[in-house]
Amino acid sequence: QTVLRSSDTHPDGYPTVEAVKYFGELVKERTDGRYEVEVFHSAQLGQEADTIEQTQFGVIDLNRISIGAFGTQVPEATVTQLPFIFRSVDHYHNVLDGPIGDEILAAFDSVDVVALAFYDGGSRSFYNSSKPIETPDDMAGMKFRVMQSDIFVDMVGALGGNATPMPYGEVYSGIQTGVIDGAENNYPSYDTAGHAEVAKYYSLDEHLMVPEVLVMSKIVWDGLAPEDQEIFRQAAKDSVAKQRELWAAQEVESKKKVEELGAKINTVDKAPFIEAMKPVYEKYVTDPKLKDLVERIQATEG
Amino acid sequence: MEYWILFGTFTALMLIGTPISFCLGIASFATITYLGRPAIVVFQQLNSGVSVFTLMAIPFFIFAGDLMMRGGIAARIIAFAGAIVGHIRGGLGQVNVLASTLFGGISGSAVAEAAAVGGIMIPQMKERGYGADYAVNVTSMAALIALLLPPSHNMIIYSISGGGRISIADLFTAGVIPGILLAISLMVTAYIVARRRGYPTEPFPGFAKAFQYFIISIPGLMLIAIIFGGVRSGIFTATESSCIAVIYALLVTIFVYRTMDFSNFVHCVTGAVRTTAMVLFIIGSAASFGWLMAYLRVAPILTDGVAQLTNDPLMVLMLINILLLLLGTFMDMGPLIIITTPIFLPMVTEFGVDPVHFGVIMILNLGIGLNTPPLGPVQFVAAAVGKISIWQAMRSVWPFYGAGLLVLGLVTYIPALSLWLPGLFRGH
Amino acid sequence: MESDVKNGLLAASRVFGGVAMVALWLAGLGLVAMTAIVAYQVFMRYVMNSSPPWTEASSIMIMSWFIFLGAAVGVREKFHMGFDVLLYVLPPSGKPVLRTISDLAIFAFGFGMVWFGGELALRGWTVRVPVLGVPQTLTYLPIVVSGLLICLFVLERMALRLAGEPVDDVETDQIVSEA
Ligand code: NA
Ligand code: NA
Repeated sequence: QTVLRSSDTHPDGYPTVEAVKYFGELVKERTDGRYEVEVFHSAQLGQEADTIEQTQFGVIDLNRISIGAFGTQVPEATVTQLPFIFRSVDHYHNVLDGPIGDEILAAFDSVDVVALAFYDGGSRSFYNSSKPIETPDDMAGMKFRVMQSDIFVDMVGALGGNATPMPYGEVYSGIQTGVIDGAENNYPSYDTAGHAEVAKYYSLDEHLMVPEVLVMSKIVWDGLAPEDQEIFRQAAKDSVAKQRELWAAQEVESKKKVEELGAKINTVDKAPFIEAMKPVYEKYVTDPKLKDLVERIQATEG
Repeated sequence: MEYWILFGTFTALMLIGTPISFCLGIASFATITYLGRPAIVVFQQLNSGVSVFTLMAIPFFIFAGDLMMRGGIAARIIAFAGAIVGHIRGGLGQVNVLASTLFGGISGSAVAEAAAVGGIMIPQMKERGYGADYAVNVTSMAALIALLLPPSHNMIIYSISGGGRISIADLFTAGVIPGILLAISLMVTAYIVARRRGYPTEPFPGFAKAFQYFIISIPGLMLIAIIFGGVRSGIFTATESSCIAVIYALLVTIFVYRTMDFSNFVHCVTGAVRTTAMVLFIIGSAASFGWLMAYLRVAPILTDGVAQLTNDPLMVLMLINILLLLLGTFMDMGPLIIITTPIFLPMVTEFGVDPVHFGVIMILNLGIGLNTPPLGPVQFVAAAVGKISIWQAMRSVWPFYGAGLLVLGLVTYIPALSLWLPGLFRGH
Repeated sequence: MESDVKNGLLAASRVFGGVAMVALWLAGLGLVAMTAIVAYQVFMRYVMNSSPPWTEASSIMIMSWFIFLGAAVGVREKFHMGFDVLLYVLPPSGKPVLRTISDLAIFAFGFGMVWFGGELALRGWTVRVPVLGVPQTLTYLPIVVSGLLICLFVLERMALRLAGEPVDDVETDQIVSEA
């Protein structure tokens, strides 16, 4: 009987953590208890960039990770980090559940991990302490904290805002004291980090829908019998529905909580935001293969 | 077996005098090798343990402290403190505590504070008939105020060890009332002991002279206002304030006091580099050690153990306090925060203790450990300045330990002492 | 003959002293550079309302360089904090033995820093540091350099000890502590 270690940066009870646990139960059941999965939640084994390397070394077996943490290492996956690449949650699901999703999963082979399934990470929108954002002009001169990634920095710049580097732990007090005006994230993070207390305006531009991905170490994968590999792959696919259900429930709950805290949520006409992203696409989608991939994603229904 | 290798290697190497950072690193290296898993992860964690933006506050505050000490900012603050409380019985003891409180508001290092305040106060106290042991004990305990009053880089270490999600601004604010409480209880203790020993008072120098000392020390005291004001008004973050402290200390010592020349500056830089490298190398190797503890599930195992003993939060806190005090007698603060936070924090939050409150308990508790042999760096510095042995200091330290433990008890069991002020700033 | 070896050792030791000095100065330069970068970051954000994106990543990288360089210097200057309870109960003749065991352990770790740090650095060649765009090799190189210096400094000390030099009696006069 083998215990496989899986990392997650989210706390216990979070949809991704629970989904990997569920995946573990399926694996245990279908391998008659030969394999078990233990989830190390709350970044116990390190931040995402570290745990990716650890998965590659084979020191940990499984990893639930945001595609964003792979940066530009996997070109096909970079495409999913482009702002407004997905029009809606349905579009996002149609793309990832279809052949394009399988193509992106397969691309992870080049970085020594086996990608098993996509989970939902929700859509990210901007929030700030001073006003609702309706057009890109509203963002002019405003300071937003984004993750340290070139695409996200360029995205804020293209919208006229200032991408301000800041450790996540300082964002709350940074917004409160006015060092920055706001940040961007999905409902659950906006809620659990307490940022809704200090940044009341949540503007639903839904600029990013970065998928979460469950990956397995290539070294560990290669040591599995082919029929076990099939069991793992299928169990991962089967855990997706569960994760989406948990995620949707979490979003509803978080939205309710931030509204109770007094968050003012406004919808946004996305067209001018999408228009502003042209230079970002020009900068990051240069390879003809990626151009083709972007076109196929855009042509997918939903 | 792997648990024995991890903790056994660490303990054995520590006993033979291997530096703590290497004890942590080698224990991790040995354990991962024993487990037959790729040892590369130990060195990855060594690096990512120190590659954290908020850690930058440590070199900056240490650097700023060196500049303030060598540039005479500390000496001027002490002269001012002497003018206002010197006339109370055992006056210089009070001066010592007040100076530590003021200096503690600009420095986060208890050792720097013991060196700065003690270096000036202890010789004076001895000269005027105070016992060297009294001077040393007042200095070493009052130095702990620096840990509680903002800025405090140990609170930053705590925040990072707790996963980086505990607000540093909240921790800084939470330490203020406990810091003032410690100052008061030490002033009272210093007064009582001084009365019983019949120590003299200092004549009040007159308002004119006191005012003059105040004016001279303004540039130094302004740093408190600049750090607090700058963070609160959103000019810079708590981490960045440490860099501003360096710039400000440089400006004051170069242009106002004119005490900083190039060779002084080089001394400050190399001194700060040595201290920082020593501290942060421990943080890096402790990250490797912490990674192995997580991998081996040490925390859940211990939590289950404690949960079987008791599930009363008050008892849990008491057990943890006793354990930390014991550990603190033979280990230093930074590494202890780093090693024990990942174990204790999930445990106490499970029992409903606020992470910010627990941070204050931990800092004060381990601060007291800085004054207990065999490893008590603050006590060592104070005793070295006072030219007495640790054993001479130990004979009369008990009332001062008592004052510290009393405040620790209050802080542990009255959460509002820590949480009221940050709540006020957060507005709920 | 024996004294030739010893003189050679002492000469080599002076060279190592110079190496340590250079490392310390480079580290000091790093601290000053980091101060300038963070001050620049505050200035650009607050005064110019335009945050340079590279300040965070570059100051972190500089910090890890000066920490690991400084840590190597610390092995030679013996400013790393430790405490030796056993020395109080053992006869004085036990000291060189304990110190040798300790040095061997430090050497092993230094070797690990070179070996595995080297592997990390090599793997990082194709990975770019976000925002800075430089290879991740630069992130891991400080470990390799520091490990190399640590191994050299420990070998130096063990050689001097074998040659009968009083390496274990000299204590550093720097007051370094952390609290
Ligand atoms: Na302080
Ligand atoms: Na101690």
